[in-house]
Amino acid sequence: MRAYVLSRLAQTALVVVLSLTAVFGMVRLSGDPVLLFMPMDIQAKDVNEFRQRLGFNDPLAVQYARFMGGAVRGDFGESLRYRSDALGLVLERLPATLLLGGTALGLTLVLAIPLGVVSAVRRDSLFDHAATVATVLGQATPGFWLGLMLIYLFSVQLRWLPTGGTGTLAHLVMPSVVLAAFFAARIARLTRSAVLEVLGEDYVLTARAKGLAETRVIAKHALRNSAIPIITLAGLEAGQLLGGAVITETIFAWPGLGRLTVQALLNRDFPVVLAAVFLISVMYTLINLAVDLLYGWLDPRVRLRA
Amino acid sequence: MRHLKAWLGIGLTAATLVAAAAAPWLAPHDPLRADFAQSLRPPGTPGHLLGTDQLGRDLLARVLHGARLALFIGACTVLITAVGGGLLGLVAGFAERWPSAVLMRIADVQLSFPFILLAMTINAITGLGLRNIILSLSAAGWVVYARVVRGEVLSVKQRDYVQAAAALGMSRARVLFRHVLPNVAPSIVVVASLQFSQFIVAEAAISFLGFGVQPPTPAWGSMLSESRDFLYVAWWLAAFPGVALALTALGVNLLGDWLRDTLDPKLRV
Amino acid sequence: MRGLRCLLVVPLLLALAVAPSAAAQDRVKTREIVVGLGAEPRTMLAVTIVDWTTNTQLEHIYDRLLDRDARTLKPKPMLATAWKVVNDTTWEFTLRQGVRFHNGEPFNAQSVKATIDYIKDPASKSHYAAYWRKVKEVQIVNDHTVRLVTDGPWPSLIDRASLTDALMLPPKALKELGPEKLNQKPIGTGPFRFVEWKRDERLVLERNPDYWQGPADASRVTFRFIPEFSARMAALLSGEIDIMKDVPPHALEPVERSGRAKIRSAVSSRINYLALVNLKPGPMQDLRVRRAMNHAVNVDELIALVLKGRATRICGPLSPANVDFAPVECYQHDPARAQALFKEAGLDPAKLQLTLDTPSGRYPLDKDVSLAIAAQLQRLGIKVNVVVNEWGTHLDKIKNRNTGDMFFLGWGPSVFGQGVMEPLFQASQTYSSYGNNKAIDEKIARTITVVDARGRAQAYAELHQMVRDEAPWVPLWQQHDLYGVASHVEWSPRADEKVWMYDARIVQR
Repeated sequence: MRAYVLSRLAQTALVVVLSLTAVFGMVRLSGDPVLLFMPMDIQAKDVNEFRQRLGFNDPLAVQYARFMGGAVRGDFGESLRYRSDALGLVLERLPATLLLGGTALGLTLVLAIPLGVVSAVRRDSLFDHAATVATVLGQATPGFWLGLMLIYLFSVQLRWLPTGGTGTLAHLVMPSVVLAAFFAARIARLTRSAVLEVLGEDYVLTARAKGLAETRVIAKHALRNSAIPIITLAGLEAGQLLGGAVITETIFAWPGLGRLTVQALLNRDFPVVLAAVFLISVMYTLINLAVDLLYGWLDPRVRLRA
Repeated sequence: MRHLKAWLGIGLTAATLVAAAAAPWLAPHDPLRADFAQSLRPPGTPGHLLGTDQLGRDLLARVLHGARLALFIGACTVLITAVGGGLLGLVAGFAERWPSAVLMRIADVQLSFPFILLAMTINAITGLGLRNIILSLSAAGWVVYARVVRGEVLSVKQRDYVQAAAALGMSRARVLFRHVLPNVAPSIVVVASLQFSQFIVAEAAISFLGFGVQPPTPAWGSMLSESRDFLYVAWWLAAFPGVALALTALGVNLLGDWLRDTLDPKLRV
Repeated sequence: MRGLRCLLVVPLLLALAVAPSAAAQDRVKTREIVVGLGAEPRTMLAVTIVDWTTNTQLEHIYDRLLDRDARTLKPKPMLATAWKVVNDTTWEFTLRQGVRFHNGEPFNAQSVKATIDYIKDPASKSHYAAYWRKVKEVQIVNDHTVRLVTDGPWPSLIDRASLTDALMLPPKALKELGPEKLNQKPIGTGPFRFVEWKRDERLVLERNPDYWQGPADASRVTFRFIPEFSARMAALLSGEIDIMKDVPPHALEPVERSGRAKIRSAVSSRINYLALVNLKPGPMQDLRVRRAMNHAVNVDELIALVLKGRATRICGPLSPANVDFAPVECYQHDPARAQALFKEAGLDPAKLQLTLDTPSGRYPLDKDVSLAIAAQLQRLGIKVNVVVNEWGTHLDKIKNRNTGDMFFLGWGPSVFGQGVMEPLFQASQTYSSYGNNKAIDEKIARTITVVDARGRAQAYAELHQMVRDEAPWVPLWQQHDLYGVASHVEWSPRADEKVWMYDARIVQR
């Protein structure tokens, strides 16, 4: 087990390096950064001077080496747009991002798993069909539409909740609901499917025949064995919540990592992009490691080899 | 009840297909024709059943034509991601050691990519347009299948009958396709049917970020994205494409459900 | 069972969670104003980064050397009370006495020198270094008199000094704390003091009671950053913010109808135009074709139908808001004349295919205007392919001369002639669409060095006429800046886009 974890951590480092390299190459492809953060009436020679000073005129290999050298020390350079330490800017966003992501994930699991289980157990009932419609709608409704509608209802008309920003619990409600509506749908459907599969298995029939209470059958046997795909998806969604909730963050003016990354990309603010990708890839790979470890715990037959 | 669900699914999906195919004949106006004197007219205005958008284009025509792009994008991306991602997931789960690890690490790397960076890079290579959208969505979408499938395969391959089959000397490929795949197929189908509608909505997200379908081409996703500035002023611009999207999604999902139930070997009593 | 219990908890949580932020009524009592902006500032350090959003907020903390009159847009005293031209290369400024920075430091000639030295220091990497390049030396005559010596005549120095290019920094704090610390806790001479900056959320300022012009009416000003337009409007309608910029024409009615806010507008100095690219081979290299385009596009119709009347047409690159403006004649909308000119140039409009590059959401209804122009040209049979670019891509294309035959762009604030003519009509300039005209190149070079006021006016009038005749653009309009302002706030917007809260008054309604 220890060997497995160590090996995976080493792989994590590799993944992070590969991600950074790939992103480094890709952002260079996507266009010239210098122009975007210069005033529009700047003279051509001043632009060149800036490029020179920032090192953009050096060959790509040199720039890459310089970048990697700094990155291992935690120095991703200065944001081109904000003139502040790039990694610092990214880390500043972490608490707010974790708060929103964590709340949304919690809400998702609390809503989706019971919904999926009950749908599977009461298959083809009215509840099941209603749940199907609800989950489909949850997935098909664009987040920004739902968000703006909620804002209109709860902020403009009823004045119960603020339109955005952070601060109190009230600020957390709408953004996490919007995120959860979307992610819960997938998990609910997958839960239903996975539990249905498991309910047909022999050991479930055996447990029932033994006279175990239905809830016990479900909780102890069915859920545990159908957990694998659910956990996989939950892990993926956790990662997405942390790094990709840009639309929700924009609508609700939530200072999160997703929005920072997108803004940095659109502004060609390379140092911030790279710092953000670094953080996100570390988080993703750690989450996936946790998920894989959970596989082993849930299903002892799954042997994880380094 | 189950049959009702299936019929509803088939019905809705068929309706979308018909709308897409017959759009040029069903639409009362040219969806691209702008008429600024008629901008932002509400539904029920004579000549415009569903109203007009900010450029005066007929909404009904745009929604009908939008069905084409929606189905096209959905179908292409689902096909590419399900087949590609599913295969990769099967291989990753079945193979031991490093092929599996390598594939999963590639998935990790790609997941760390901000989605928009993918879109921007592809944009730099192919330029804006449909190809960009499908490629970007596919590149982002395959990982779900790969990981879900791999997870399932890991657990399925430990089951007794699978071990037995391998012990009996059945070739790995055969074990894979005869025993593992049928168990994994239901998950793929469910995810695929969910992803279909998600990809159409994702097209809205891409438009939100600035890389979507070029105007004046009507596509539900970009129509929704553009409508958000007018949400409090012209609700119909978001409502009708949204309803079309929701109904299509419902149809495809019900269809997927029915397929899943049919394919599940244990449910075949 | 578990599910049911969950359902009960939710409304309870909601009830506990409801802690509404300071309602508008409370803010009237405490005299607070909240401004909703779509972007956040990039730095708290003045004269470092050129960015409208940043400067509009920094202006509350720092003062300019000179201000601009809100109506005439001509320079007027601020931290400098008087100025004069000593000789062709020397300007002298008399500074206001008794002004102090927020940390108690006195403002004097030393501050001016320290600020300009900071700007020109390569280590500062200030964007403004290019703007102040022509200043060779800053001479301190005495505590309240300072001279700027330039390298060659530079009449536009007075314009630069009256923009945010000359926000004054505190020399002692700059030396002792350094730019980084000063960025975290900025110090200026302005009407508001810094309280806190939560990145991407809000900037909070409080009244400076010792402000030399007298304390502001508002006791507290908060800038909130809400990137999504509809969310910003919702915040205005729900009373969470008091002022909002850039309300599009279609949203004016809901704001007025709400009863909580009114629309205030100002004719901006920012211009929008359709550039006809002559820097690469194509039909736009022919003067007749460019003039034909000017006759073919119906600018008045665009203003009436797309912008709902909310724009002021311009006939040339200089608008009446520009101090160097001189009137020129507009090209009349005349499809017959356009057809004749196309024919003269040997082109058949029905066979013509053009490409128009446009950004989206950068300028009011930019994409819609571009599509409308395409529709108008379609009436003559011309096929126009509209390419919508993401902003960065748009700028890249323009710089690399990689756009189509035409592109849509805006420019501003455009308050003085050099700021428009020099960068936009010469081939060597980054964002120019037009160039390789020696006569115009020379005329520009001569015009920007004329110091004498009457000579300057004459030179710009001639230049303006020359450029108009060359038809490098289809000049469109001056934007109207439309603001949503809460009913309990009295404030008028300015043509130079300065969102200046010092002037705002809170009234009990």
